[in-house]
Amino acid sequence: MVSRSLVSHGLVLDLVEQLGTIARYDTVTLPLEEDERDEQRSVVAAWCTRTGNELVELGHDTVTVRRGRSPDPLAELGAALMPGARLWMYTNFDCNLACDYCCARSSPQSARKALGLDRVRRLASEAVDAGVTELILTGGEPFLLPNLDELVAACTSALPTILLTNGMLFRGNRLAALQGMDRSRLALQISLDSATPGLHDLHRGRGSWERAVAGIRTARDEGFRVRVAATLPHGQSHQQQPFHTFLDSLGVAPEDQVIRVLAHRGVADEGIELTLESLIPEVTVTAEGVYWHPVTAGHEDQFVTADIFPLQEAIAEVRRRFTEMRARATAAGQWFPCA
Amino acid sequence: MNQPLIVGAVAYTPNVVTIWEGMRDYFAGTPAEMDFVLFSNYARQVDALVDGRIDLAWNTNLAWVRTVAQTDGACRALAMRDTDAVFRTIFVTRAGSSFTGLDDLRGRRLVLGSKDSAQAAILPVHFLDHSGPGADSVDISRIDSDVGKHGDTGRSELDALRAVLDDRADAAAIGINTWEAIGREELMPGAFEAFWQSPTYSHCNFTVMPHVGDERTTPWVEQLFAMDWENPAHRSILEMEGLRAWVPPHLDGYASLFDAVREQAIPPRW
Repeated sequence: MVSRSLVSHGLVLDLVEQLGTIARYDTVTLPLEEDERDEQRSVVAAWCTRTGNELVELGHDTVTVRRGRSPDPLAELGAALMPGARLWMYTNFDCNLACDYCCARSSPQSARKALGLDRVRRLASEAVDAGVTELILTGGEPFLLPNLDELVAACTSALPTILLTNGMLFRGNRLAALQGMDRSRLALQISLDSATPGLHDLHRGRGSWERAVAGIRTARDEGFRVRVAATLPHGQSHQQQPFHTFLDSLGVAPEDQVIRVLAHRGVADEGIELTLESLIPEVTVTAEGVYWHPVTAGHEDQFVTADIFPLQEAIAEVRRRFTEMRARATAAGQWFPCA
Repeated sequence: MNQPLIVGAVAYTPNVVTIWEGMRDYFAGTPAEMDFVLFSNYARQVDALVDGRIDLAWNTNLAWVRTVAQTDGACRALAMRDTDAVFRTIFVTRAGSSFTGLDDLRGRRLVLGSKDSAQAAILPVHFLDHSGPGADSVDISRIDSDVGKHGDTGRSELDALRAVLDDRADAAAIGINTWEAIGREELMPGAFEAFWQSPTYSHCNFTVMPHVGDERTTPWVEQLFAMDWENPAHRSILEMEGLRAWVPPHLDGYASLFDAVREQAIPPRW
């Protein structure tokens, strides 16, 4: 007669044998003996810890173990792409332009939905402890906000910051606000789609190219580092050389010349489709809560949580969902091999 | 640049593909590139090595002894795992059996693994003859599963342990790798205890034929020894293959198996 405890020991022998017959990262599921489940669960858990295999699931009457440990999707991303390495903040959603591809659906008619100074201050403060290395302010058009200088100061006092703008409003009080910002901690990212007015004005409105270029010159004359970001349809993204040549002539450094492919989000009629599965998350905070990525802010399918604070937990939630999603994708790949 | 060295290995688990693809990738772009060929058993692999159809073979200790015999000692061992230099056979019994040494096996039931497993069949008999009561005085049974793979799957050793648990045997002889895999005595208190462990002996090595010159093997071995446990890219391969570092071959560690094969008249092909 086999004693109770020996059943558990037999399970370990079965595990060793069956894992030996499968490929790395594949799993085996073994039944648990009805009268021995608790003991068997603890033995299997201890065995996995000792041998470097992964306990995938301790079910009611089965246990599933993976050969080896599944790779950590976050570790594979590396530090630069780690969700939470940068924190995006939508300061507001209203804008002086109504671009026909705006992913945020911003326009002069849009509600402001301002994030507000208190939340920006707290986010900037918590970002440091949460491991964020860079803050990014975007909108809407942030320069519509009367207290933008205070928002920016809250950010630059905490971390290096990038402020996204269309660069068209650098006059009067707004220019004075710009002039008061910390050049050593702040870079401006100004939107410009083409080396000549045609394409830019087609999407952003007549005369907008000329004013954006003037904004780039003003910001540079004021001593700011200026990045320039273009949004191009996928089919035109190869026609970049005239654009780069033009930006070179404006004194924009090559590493600060950014080309983005048009996304089918917001009011855009076309563009590449972006899903949770196809986007590496960039933690993005709006007045409504936390979103997966700045290009999908305000889109219900990529809403993460209404709880902005504590920021560290919001970032952890984004990372957890990303890890879970990648694990599901890996599992699906194993279930549905191509050949 | 040299032609890639073709390394033979036996496919005893699907993981072997992952391991050798990792090794091939590691050597890619170096002055000592390699590719690999998988065999279903060690007899085929040794044939291919001796015939010159592969340049190197990742051989078990029995396959090494066979290759030495078939080449009159002309083959060379290039390297082994650190774990290959300190391999042991462990004699285990049910916890509480009061066995203290090999002499306690006199008249008792000992279960051995596959007949072509050096650690679980051939060397245990040798140890009984030289350090115990003699194999003839022990009631020996054998579990011949996966013959041809020289015990690499570990299946026969696990079956031997099941026989001990089920009281179909009083003791089993297993390799230290299987003993570690089940967590020694610590993970399953009350199940097994080791009552004798053999001296260390050598297990696998990379075996090369004389027609493959130093100009090809030296850069390859240098590259092999450069695999670094602290390098995550190397580490995943090392972990799968069960080592922390590649080391020069410990040829003295094969003496006991040469003796055992001769004494037991082990046939030349399994």
